Amino acid sequence: MIVVVGLSHRSASIAVRERLALPREEIPDVLAELAAHEAVSEALMVSTCNRVEVVATGADLHAAAEAVRSVLTARAPPVARHLYVHEGADAVRHLFRVASSLDSLVLGEPQILGQVKEAFEVARAAGSVGAVLNGTVPRAIRTAKRVRTQTAIGSGQVSVPSVAVDLATQIFADLKGRRVALVGSGEMAEAVARLLAQAGAKLSVIGRNADRVAEIAGALGGEARGWHELRACVAEVDVVVTSTSAPAHVVDFDMLNAVKRSRRGRSLFLIDLAVPRDVDPRVDSIDGVFLYNVDDFSKVVAESAAGRRREAEQAEQIVAREVLGYDRWAEVTQLKPAIVALRERFQSVVHGEVEKSLKTKLKHLGDSDRVALGKMADAILNKLLHTPTQRLRELASESEDAVQLLVELFEIDPGAEANRSGEHAASPADQASEEDEDSAEGDEDFADSNDEEGERALGTGSR
Amino acid sequence: MSAIATIAFTLGVVAYSASSTLFFVDLARREGAPQAAKWAPWVLAAGAGLHAAHVITASATLNRWPFDSLHFALSLSALIAVSVYLALRQRARIHAIGAFVSPLALTFLVGAQFVSVSAPPTTIPSTLLTLHVAANLLGIGFFMLAGGVSVFYLVQERRLKQKRVIGTGKLPPLDSLDTTEHRLLLAGFPLLTLGIATGAIWARQLEAGGGVEVARALLAYATWLLVAAVLTLRAVAGWRGRRAAYGTIAGVVCVMLVILVYVVRPHGGAL
Repeated sequence: MIVVVGLSHRSASIAVRERLALPREEIPDVLAELAAHEAVSEALMVSTCNRVEVVATGADLHAAAEAVRSVLTARAPPVARHLYVHEGADAVRHLFRVASSLDSLVLGEPQILGQVKEAFEVARAAGSVGAVLNGTVPRAIRTAKRVRTQTAIGSGQVSVPSVAVDLATQIFADLKGRRVALVGSGEMAEAVARLLAQAGAKLSVIGRNADRVAEIAGALGGEARGWHELRACVAEVDVVVTSTSAPAHVVDFDMLNAVKRSRRGRSLFLIDLAVPRDVDPRVDSIDGVFLYNVDDFSKVVAESAAGRRREAEQAEQIVAREVLGYDRWAEVTQLKPAIVALRERFQSVVHGEVEKSLKTKLKHLGDSDRVALGKMADAILNKLLHTPTQRLRELASESEDAVQLLVELFEIDPGAEANRSGEHAASPADQASEEDEDSAEGDEDFADSNDEEGERALGTGSR
Repeated sequence: MSAIATIAFTLGVVAYSASSTLFFVDLARREGAPQAAKWAPWVLAAGAGLHAAHVITASATLNRWPFDSLHFALSLSALIAVSVYLALRQRARIHAIGAFVSPLALTFLVGAQFVSVSAPPTTIPSTLLTLHVAANLLGIGFFMLAGGVSVFYLVQERRLKQKRVIGTGKLPPLDSLDTTEHRLLLAGFPLLTLGIATGAIWARQLEAGGGVEVARALLAYATWLLVAAVLTLRAVAGWRGRRAAYGTIAGVVCVMLVILVYVVRPHGGAL
């Protein structure tokens, strides 16, 4: 099991978060610091603008959490009271929800999955990932992929600028080379114009204050134009973004009717972000003119957000199923060394007795009889161990003392087996992380094979 | 029909049905269906291949040149529409038009079976007949596709005007639809002109004067005038968007009426 210690947009303001946020290059130093701590055996760090979290594990989860907390607090003391701690199953659920963007500021945003993958890669490169994180993080990534492919949590746009750009591409396909006029200087309008310019559009900035216009044009990489050029500009461009404080319409029906002929039927997308409105609503009736005002955008954003919230319910169910699957895997991983040690112990006793008999009372037996006797001994052993193994599995899910009881009853050493299988446990995760990022099915195969391996170790697979 | 033609026909129907379903699934889902979108064009292309195999083997079995029978001509016009769509799909960003082209091809492939394979008129030189039919077939293929693109334009324009942009799958961008519709009309118009010109010579040679023949000829001329008007107004008066889409749809309806007259006239499938 794991612990998660960190802070996010839910627990701390940006002023606090930025104290702890680290560039990628500095993360290995923190991981090395954590690895040096006795209580921490594995760790990785996710550092984004909305969260800084350490996922770690150790023999004692509580001690591991305290160690992580002390390392983080030492780097930025004021963050101490904003840190949250998730342990065990709660931590696994949190990690799966974070990777699936269910804990993001913008529900369903796609960047977090890439950031979790990157954090995993950085930790692997730093050598701070072992069997536990190798078994946990790929499952979180697989869960996130399932959420994205099986739900529409990432559908639609949930901010006015992104909706505006999306609508522009629904009208013009490619925005490269398209002409955009920014009329006025509202913050939102500038954000829209910036996104359109980033998509390849050519920007003209128009306003009454020449200095302000030049400043905005310079900042956005556009061309500054005078207020008197508004009509000519509207005749030329494909998109007009308005956000002035004018009390009356600055783009009216007569203006658009007048420029209609020179536009020769080209589509015109009008984005009116001003209140009171800058564009006469009657222009929407003109063929080829598409007018969206603040209310229209709010409606689209609200519909998208509501759609994502509906999808989030389904996503939570997927996460819950995956956490259950993880619990089973963790249980199997925990039990495997004890079961293998128990089987080896029984096998050594049975085979020892068989060998002893073959050298004395049964020395007259031929080769085929000896082989048959060995097989019979194995079959008896398997049948005898089958029910206790299954029962142990059930008990282990109810109490952590079951493994200890087994160790004491039969004087076995699961630690030796765990050390032998430690490297082996990491290899499937290595394969999973090398798989195609979009291949959710591939990841599923990995998880299934891991589960099958556990079933075999427990001796519950086919019997 | 030979066994190969029957198998190709049956598999073609299956492929067109499957591609129609895949395109519709992609269009119906809010965020699209990536797997359906990926496979739909391939299944449609397979359908087109089987369609072509059916036409070739069926006409060979009947020892008929496919260009001199309405039975095969109808089928071929839809095949041309599919081929043009597949060629333009990615560059023109009109993937969703597959939801129109697939069922159209299915309808024409199946519908052609109900049109008899009659003997060609012996009084017409075969070269002229082939030229006439080939020009019309290509023209009809382009126009049918232009009609479908125009319908999608009107739907997309209505969605954007009414601000109903959430809740359905993504349609092609408005400008892509408008440009593609224009290019298809431009490509189809010379072929329509050639078809009408060769048809006029043929009609004179036949000294055809029956009422149905006259109506068919008049409808064909009206179609030509309508399409010419749409293209002229687009070039001269900047007609684009909704008006151009309505004009194109009207032109395509006229083309369909001409085909209908062919099908229902007394001599059935003969050209």
